[in-house]
Amino acid sequence: MSSSFPGFDLSLPRGALPGEDLLRASPSVGMPARWNDVVLPGSELVAVSADRKAPLALRIVATRPHGDGFRYDFEYWGLEPGAHDLRTLLQRRDGSSTADLPELRVEIRSVLVAEGAALPNAPRPAELPQLGGYGALLLAGGIVWVAGLVAILVVGRRRRAAESAGQPRVRSLAERLQPLVERAMRGELSREERAQLELSLVALWRRRLGLEESRPAEVIAQLKRHPEAGPLLVRLEEWLHRPDARGAGEIPALLAPYRELRADELDGPGGAR
Amino acid sequence: MTMTSPQVSAADLARTEEYIRRVRERVGTVVVGQDVVVERLLIALFSGGHLLLQGVPGLAKTLLVSTLSKSIDLGFARVQFTIDLLPSDILGSEVLDQRTNEFRVRKGPIFTNLLLADEINRAAPKVQGALLEAMQERKVTIGPETFRLPAPFLVIATQNPVEQAGTFELPEAQLDRFMLVHRLDYPSPAEEREVLRRNAALGIQRQDKGAIVQTEFDVLDSRPVGSVTEIVAAMEAVSSIHVSDTFVDHVVEVVHRTRTHPDVELGCSPRAGISLIKASRARALMHGRSYVVPEDLYALAEDALLHRMRLKYGSIAEGKTGRQVLDEILRSMGGEARA
Ligand SMILES: Nc1ncnc2c1ncn2[C@@H]1O[C@H](COP(=O)(O)OP(=O)(O)O)[C@@H](O)[C@H]1O
Ligand SMILES: [Mg+2]
Repeated sequence: MSSSFPGFDLSLPRGALPGEDLLRASPSVGMPARWNDVVLPGSELVAVSADRKAPLALRIVATRPHGDGFRYDFEYWGLEPGAHDLRTLLQRRDGSSTADLPELRVEIRSVLVAEGAALPNAPRPAELPQLGGYGALLLAGGIVWVAGLVAILVVGRRRRAAESAGQPRVRSLAERLQPLVERAMRGELSREERAQLELSLVALWRRRLGLEESRPAEVIAQLKRHPEAGPLLVRLEEWLHRPDARGAGEIPALLAPYRELRADELDGPGGAR
Repeated sequence: MTMTSPQVSAADLARTEEYIRRVRERVGTVVVGQDVVVERLLIALFSGGHLLLQGVPGLAKTLLVSTLSKSIDLGFARVQFTIDLLPSDILGSEVLDQRTNEFRVRKGPIFTNLLLADEINRAAPKVQGALLEAMQERKVTIGPETFRLPAPFLVIATQNPVEQAGTFELPEAQLDRFMLVHRLDYPSPAEEREVLRRNAALGIQRQDKGAIVQTEFDVLDSRPVGSVTEIVAAMEAVSSIHVSDTFVDHVVEVVHRTRTHPDVELGCSPRAGISLIKASRARALMHGRSYVVPEDLYALAEDALLHRMRLKYGSIAEGKTGRQVLDEILRSMGGEARA
């Protein structure tokens, strides 16, 4: 015969078990205890499925045939101190009566003193904190916060205003380009001015062709294809970037058209920002 | 002029141009369009700077680099970055030799000329760090020994846009190791039609008793169109490209403006300017010029500068993007000045 928990036999190996008396020494409330090798007559017994409020719970760990009856290993744990009878938790698998069973008395001990159960200390009345202290603190904090925010905004705005007032005047493209062209035609450009001249002419043509919103990388390619801007930029490149600096002599003629610029043309949309 | 360099003869330049044309043609047989990306790949190759390609999956990043690797005659390795990759999976490790009972060095896939670090932002930061350090140092330490990486050594990394889940964003300091970061665009409708047409023309491939549907990767021509000599010649040609004072001034100005723009928290480092000039030289070569011009600067500014700038939180909150700010900076060049 198999154990009552097929494949889950909890019974310890024989030799490892302490004596039976010890096992049955009354356990305390809630602690499981074993009672092994209990031979009981009659057909096979199974545990009554106990409800949660029952004072005692029983599990049959192993069941083995023994003569006419069976030999059982019990595990039980009590939830209430006192004497209990395991019989109350047993029934026959075939439903027949259990009246022929002997009494199976177990004792459950309580570790608490019976009389005058321990009580927690009574709380001592403490002084109450000032009523509304937290609310007042919150309010004060809020005021400080708002004041700080206002201060930051005001100071930030002032500083920004101060910054833009203190900034150097922005020169428009026309104001910038014309002296460069003049000096270039006289051959007087410094190194930095040459770089500025080239970029300013790119900016001029970008504006003339209304390409300010296009992506800069595309603008250059487009300008190079333009019948007027293209040759200008290529000649400038040959002068400024070729290792043999070609065509310096043609520069005055090349730049002549850019001497007189209509101011309105240059300071239209997207002008000096 | 500032950057005078060894002169390369016109005949050499012509040969290099012819080589570049052949590579582009070969790549073009597999990859539709993406000319700018191919240009950036070759710029990276010829100027010895690492390149990061950024874009959503399916824009042929992997296909492009694989195709390039087959058309040039260089050692190639691909590492697919994943969350569980370890630094030793890239760099190599020491293994115990059972017979001699001694440690032997097993070099990792980084010991190659062209390394495709695919989907680099899927790996944990320590793996990214190990790769980026090796990229910078061009050497790798395994156990007690330090090994130099082969020459040329180039990393082309790809990454998905950083917003995607399950990815680790590369910090600026690490992005700075890449000479260029190129952001891929979707193909034009005409290009997309051609992609679909070519893909539909692929057949199946018999294998064992069954068959698999071919992909572009299966039909790559693995015969290179040139040799290492030609790559070295191209690298030499790049270093002979003339950079004028005026161009250097332009670069200094744009880099400086990234540092003073009100929306920028962290402007470009000097390395940005160096990268911009290096890449511009290679671009000039690709466009058949022996000198750089502003067009090179404008074309490469985004790839060389954008990953080295950080916007202020306030500006990001206002919805500004780095690209917008950089465009603003480029537009402002020459347009106005503070008196
Ligand atoms: N421009 C293109 N030319 C050719 N094939 C493309 C192109 N764009 C996408 N494809 C198709 O998309 C597939 C995905 O490419 P893949 O290199 O894996 O993308 P990614 O690495 O960017 O995620 C390719 O195998 C190819 O079928
Ligand atoms: Mg891929």
